[in-house]
Amino acid sequence: MSRKSNIPAAPLFLRLVLWLLAFVTITPFLLLLLTSIKSKADVLQGAFALPAYPHFENYLDAWNAGHFNIYFWNSIIVVIPVVAASVFLGLLTGFAFAYLSFPLRRTLFAILTLGMMVPAEAFIIPLYYEMRYLGLINTYAAVIVPQIAMSIPFSTIFLASAMQQLPEEILEAAVLDGAGRFYILRKIVVPLMVPAMSTLALFLFIWTWNEFLIPFILVNDDAYRTLPLGMLFFQGRYTVNTPVLTAGAVIVIAPLILTYLVFQRRFIAGLTAGATK
Amino acid sequence: MKRSPLDGSEHTNWIYLLPGLLLYAAFVFGPIVAALGLSLTSWDGLTVPKWVGLGNYVDLFSDDRFYIALRNNAELMIFYCVLPLGLGIGLAACVWNLKQREQLALRTFLFLPYIMPTAVLGIIWAWLYNPAFGPFNQFLRAVGLGMFALPWLGDFNFVLPAVGIVATWYFFGFCMVIFLTGIQRIDPSLFDAAKVDGASARKTFFWITLPLLMPEIRVVLLLTVIASIKSFDLIFTMTRGGPANATLVPNIYMYQLGFELNRFGAAAAIAIVGALLTFVINFAIHRLVGSKSKGMA
Repeated sequence: MSRKSNIPAAPLFLRLVLWLLAFVTITPFLLLLLTSIKSKADVLQGAFALPAYPHFENYLDAWNAGHFNIYFWNSIIVVIPVVAASVFLGLLTGFAFAYLSFPLRRTLFAILTLGMMVPAEAFIIPLYYEMRYLGLINTYAAVIVPQIAMSIPFSTIFLASAMQQLPEEILEAAVLDGAGRFYILRKIVVPLMVPAMSTLALFLFIWTWNEFLIPFILVNDDAYRTLPLGMLFFQGRYTVNTPVLTAGAVIVIAPLILTYLVFQRRFIAGLTAGATK
Repeated sequence: MKRSPLDGSEHTNWIYLLPGLLLYAAFVFGPIVAALGLSLTSWDGLTVPKWVGLGNYVDLFSDDRFYIALRNNAELMIFYCVLPLGLGIGLAACVWNLKQREQLALRTFLFLPYIMPTAVLGIIWAWLYNPAFGPFNQFLRAVGLGMFALPWLGDFNFVLPAVGIVATWYFFGFCMVIFLTGIQRIDPSLFDAAKVDGASARKTFFWITLPLLMPEIRVVLLLTVIASIKSFDLIFTMTRGGPANATLVPNIYMYQLGFELNRFGAAAAIAIVGALLTFVINFAIHRLVGSKSKGMA
């Protein structure tokens, strides 16, 4: 980058401060990792002391005795349909808002954006009674269906604005060739939308994996709890067993860190594109 | 809107629109409208709701606990919005002229908290703050600041900042990333011109970088203000609103009234007030920060 050369190099002192800040920022995660491989006796030696040898059995304890095996699979069972259905429905609705005309277009769009601004906390009570009425409390559907519905505004707006960037000539050519609309969506629009769709899927994965309120209110059976909820109830049951608690926390966040490191450029590009739109 | 080549007849267009809209209407928009209706009733969750008009809202605005919750929320905004915004801008201004690799590494570390579930962060920080075996107090004792080793989450005066700092930690890297892209969007010739004119780094920051970052500042304010109003996970897992209401915020109060005391009408009224508050602040930010940025661009 040419412009960089015009700027004097940052002073060493400033860089040291920045790196110190970065270190302090990730310290909670480092402490978490360190504590997760300690024995209970090691913990009493102080939070910063190293264990004599790593106690990986904490992970086994968390996985089995702490039920993190159940929570982990529940998170997977919930996250896959939520991401898949949200992207699929977002494609259809986004296609409609990008290209099609229908009555009350502006009103419907406003109603949709409303759902992006109103937090789930505001409508959780009616939602709880609706799910109860439908007999869905304590099922996977209770966690999956509302989260798909809640992601529709973002998916729609995100994909519609990406579709509007597509060159219209390609679509016109396809129409002139006599292709049907659903065929065009499937064979022309979707392949061009892969980058946008994967960014969207990444966001939806993280949000769904992290969701607390929906599973907290709509599920109270341990068999259907997702990881963040499992962690809360584990904390309640085993307050004293810090190594196993921290091992559980590592199980919750490891997939997030992994995804983040692999897709970090795409993630931040999508974030800033979405944020500044 | 110009008609797209893909546009079809009205009733076939609905095929694309309906699946998503119906699901949204059933599980988001419907419940929002229902919450509005519910807030006008008195309901214990079992018997038939009793119409009370604006009674719940009247009660709420003569309820001391609600004012405590609102005040706590306002104080939390310092930690949710002001500190991350200031830190984020300052850091972005420092980081943007570092080498590409170093910039990426710093960004990766500082952004890390933002992708975590706030509920789990609350649980982790409750452990970090633990007065007896928490690393935080152990660190203070180790560096000779033992007199500051407080029971952070149990102390009436310090619990709000203690919870707030977690929000700052969560958001400041996110703010920095948004501001970094903002700075990269600015025309480099402006910086070159400032340099030729002999402007100091500070002057360049205040007269070029800061004004041109207004769109990003607006986005960051919007997102952090909304996050502060809907703060529930973090506070619930760290303090549940205690001790003695010191961290009570509207959404925690809503949870207590609704799911602990079965006063669902009153709880819905809080939820609606929270949503309205979000709208008003949203609108105000758009008005105040938005128009300014247009004037300068």
